Amino acid sequence: MPFAGIDIGSTMTKAIIVDHEERILASVIGPTGAEHRHLALKVIDEALQKASLAMEGLDFIVATGYGRISVPFADKQITEITCHARGIRALLPTVRIIIDIGGQDSKGIKLDNEGKVANFVMNDKCAAGTGRFLEVIAETLGLKLDRLGKISLTAEAYVQISNTCTVFAEHEVTSRLAEGASIPEIVAGLHEAIAGRVINMVRHLGMEKDVVVTGGGAMNIGLVRAIENKVGFPVLIPPEPLLTGALGAALAGHDFVRRGVTPDHGRRRERVTFFQ
Amino acid sequence: MEQKEQTKTTAVKGTDMARKVRGLVKNIYRSAHEAKAQGKKVAYMMVSSQYDEIIRAMDVVPIPTENYAGLCAAKREMDRFLLKAEADGYSQVLCSYARIGLGFDSLRKELGGIPEGAPDGGMPTPDMMLGSSAVCDPRYKWFQAAGRYLDVPTYSIDVVWPPVDADLKAVRDHYIQYQKEQFQGLISFMEQQTGKKLNKERLWETIRLSDEAWRLWYEIDRMRVAIPSPMPAQDHFSVMVAGYYYPGMQEAVDFYQSLYDEVKYKVENKIGVIPDEKYRILYGGGLPPWHTLWIFNYFESFGAVFAIERQYRAYDPVEVPSSVKDPVEFLAWRSFLRATQFYEKARANSGNPTVERLLGMIDRYAIDGVVFHACRSCRATTIGQVHYKNILGRYTDIPMMQLVSDMVDLRDYSEAQWKAQIGAFIETLAGRSAR
Ligand code: SF4
Repeated sequence: MPFAGIDIGSTMTKAIIVDHEERILASVIGPTGAEHRHLALKVIDEALQKASLAMEGLDFIVATGYGRISVPFADKQITEITCHARGIRALLPTVRIIIDIGGQDSKGIKLDNEGKVANFVMNDKCAAGTGRFLEVIAETLGLKLDRLGKISLTAEAYVQISNTCTVFAEHEVTSRLAEGASIPEIVAGLHEAIAGRVINMVRHLGMEKDVVVTGGGAMNIGLVRAIENKVGFPVLIPPEPLLTGALGAALAGHDFVRRGVTPDHGRRRERVTFFQ
Repeated sequence: MEQKEQTKTTAVKGTDMARKVRGLVKNIYRSAHEAKAQGKKVAYMMVSSQYDEIIRAMDVVPIPTENYAGLCAAKREMDRFLLKAEADGYSQVLCSYARIGLGFDSLRKELGGIPEGAPDGGMPTPDMMLGSSAVCDPRYKWFQAAGRYLDVPTYSIDVVWPPVDADLKAVRDHYIQYQKEQFQGLISFMEQQTGKKLNKERLWETIRLSDEAWRLWYEIDRMRVAIPSPMPAQDHFSVMVAGYYYPGMQEAVDFYQSLYDEVKYKVENKIGVIPDEKYRILYGGGLPPWHTLWIFNYFESFGAVFAIERQYRAYDPVEVPSSVKDPVEFLAWRSFLRATQFYEKARANSGNPTVERLLGMIDRYAIDGVVFHACRSCRATTIGQVHYKNILGRYTDIPMMQLVSDMVDLRDYSEAQWKAQIGAFIETLAGRSAR
C-alpha cells in the first residue's frame, strides 16, 4: 500500500512515496524557480518511476504547500502546517516547536504532547524573514545562495542590517560595503536580521524544547547558528529539511486510509496550472 | 487595459435585521444632508465618546467620520481618499480611518463640492467637529488636523478611566467630577454654536432611549450562547450601527426589539447560521476587515461560525445610583462605571480586564478557537492582542490565530496568506475535535 505526498512550495516542488510501514520508497526535489512549478506532474512521475509504481497503484495522494489547491491528481489537499507537523512527528517525536523557513514565507508551529498542531504563526506577506530575502541579497553581493552559510561562519563580528525590508536592505548592504564592512560580516548580519525576525514571530507560541528548523533555511548553517544564539540552545535539523512537508503529506494520506476516508474527487493526470 | 472589478466584498448575513442595516447607514448621511439643507447644525463626531446623548439632545445631527471610512472600504471606494491624504503628507502608518476622512475633506475642498460618486452621497460640510480622547489619540487629533481643510470650530473632550490597579473607591469621585466638567465644557461650546440652551429633560429622554437600546442589545447577545449559533459576528458588525450611531433615538430601540424577536425565534427553533456547525469561533478583537467581510463566510464554508465577538462591544449595561439626579452627572457616572466594570474580576484573576471578558466569552459561548484581526494602522484595537493571546494561553489551550491586514487599507491585505492561515487553523480545530 503506497502513499504519495507532494509539496508545491513557492520555489520548489517536492514529492515522496512511502509504503504502509511508512518507509520512504522514493523522494524527488523538483526544479527550482517559478517557471518550473507547473512541472509537478513530472516530479511525481519521477518519484513513481524511482519506486517502480504507476499513479493508479498509489492508495492516496495528498497535496500540500501554496500550490496544493491546483493539483489535479491529488486525492486531498492539506495545508503545510498540518503536514510539517505530521512529518516531524514521524521523524523527531520530541519536537515541540517547528521553525520552517521557506522561499517565500516562514512559519512557526507548536506541537502538543501527541505531536499534533496546538498553535501556529505565519509571517505576513513581507519577504523579509524568508529565503527570498537572502536570495535577493546574495545576488547583490554576487554570491551563490548555498555559500552564504559557510561564508558567514568566517566572520568574527556582524554588521547590523537594521532594515528588514528586502528592498531597503539591499541599499543598506551596498552602503555597508562602501563603508568598508567585509562580505562575511555583512552576510552574518543578514542572518542575524532574519533570525531576529523569525524568532520574534515564533516567540508568540512560547519557546519550548525541542526545536527543529526545516525548509531551505535549515540548509544555511550560518542562519541556523544565528537562530540557536537567539533561542539559547541547539536546534535539531532533519536529515532532509526540504522534505518534511511532503513526507507529512504522504503520511497523512496513510492516516486517511486508516480512518476510512475516501478521496475528494477523481484524479486527473494534468499539469498544474495555478501558477501560470 | 481594463481593471478587473472585485465583485464581492460584503458578507452574507445570518439574520433578516442585519440585512436592513444598510438603510440605517444610508440614513445617517441622508439626514445630515437634509439637516444642512434645512439650516440645522451638523457635527463631525467620534462614536463611543460618551457624549452621543448630548449631541442628540442639542438637536445637532451627528456625522460619524470613522463609520464613513468603513463604509468607503465596504464599497471599495477608499483608495482615492487614502491617496489624497498621503499626497497631502499624511503617513501611511496613520490611522486609515483618519486618512480617508482627511482625504475626503481635502478633495471636497479642492473640488468645491462632494467628490463625485462618494458612497452614500458623501459627508456634508459640518458646522462643528467634536473630537474625543476615548479609545485613541487620532480621535482627538484628527479634527484638529481637519482644520486645514475646514474653517469650522473644533471641540475635543477628554474621556478618562483609571488604571486597573487603582483604588476605585479613592479615585471615583475625582474621575466623575472631571468627566462631568468635560461634558459641561462641551455643552457650553454647543450652546454657543447653536444659540440654544440644553434642555435637561430632553437629555434624560435621550439617555433613557439609549440605555433601553443597549439593554435590548445586551439581551440579544446573551441569547447567542445558543447552539447552533443564531447570529454570527458579521451580523454584529452590521447591527452595531443602531447602538453606536443611533443612541438616544427611538429607531435604535425599535431596531433591537425586532432583532431580539428574530434571534429569540431562531434560538427557540434551533435555526443556525449554517446547517452544520462544527466549530464556534470568538472574534477576539481588532476592527473588522471592512474590505473583505466575506471572509466570515469563508470560515463558514468549513463549518466554523463566529459565535461572538469582543469588538464593538464596549460595555455591558451598568447601574448608576438612583441618587444621581442630574443627567450630565449621570453620563459621567455611567462613563466611569462602564470603563471599570471588569476591573474587580480582573484583579481577582488574570489582572487584565480584556482577558477576563475573553475568558468569560470562551466559557459561556462554548468557543473552540479565537481569531484576532491585527489592523496595521489602528493601534488602539491592535496593541495588546499578542499580550492577550499570551495570557489567555495560561487559562485555555484552544487554538488562537492572528490575521493581519488593516480595517480599510487593502494594500495591507493578502488573500493568499489569509486563506493559508485559515486552512491551517481549521485543520488544527479538526485535529483537536478528532481526539
Ligand atoms: S486608530 Fe483605531 S480607534 Fe483610533 S480613530 Fe483610527 S480606527 Fe478608530
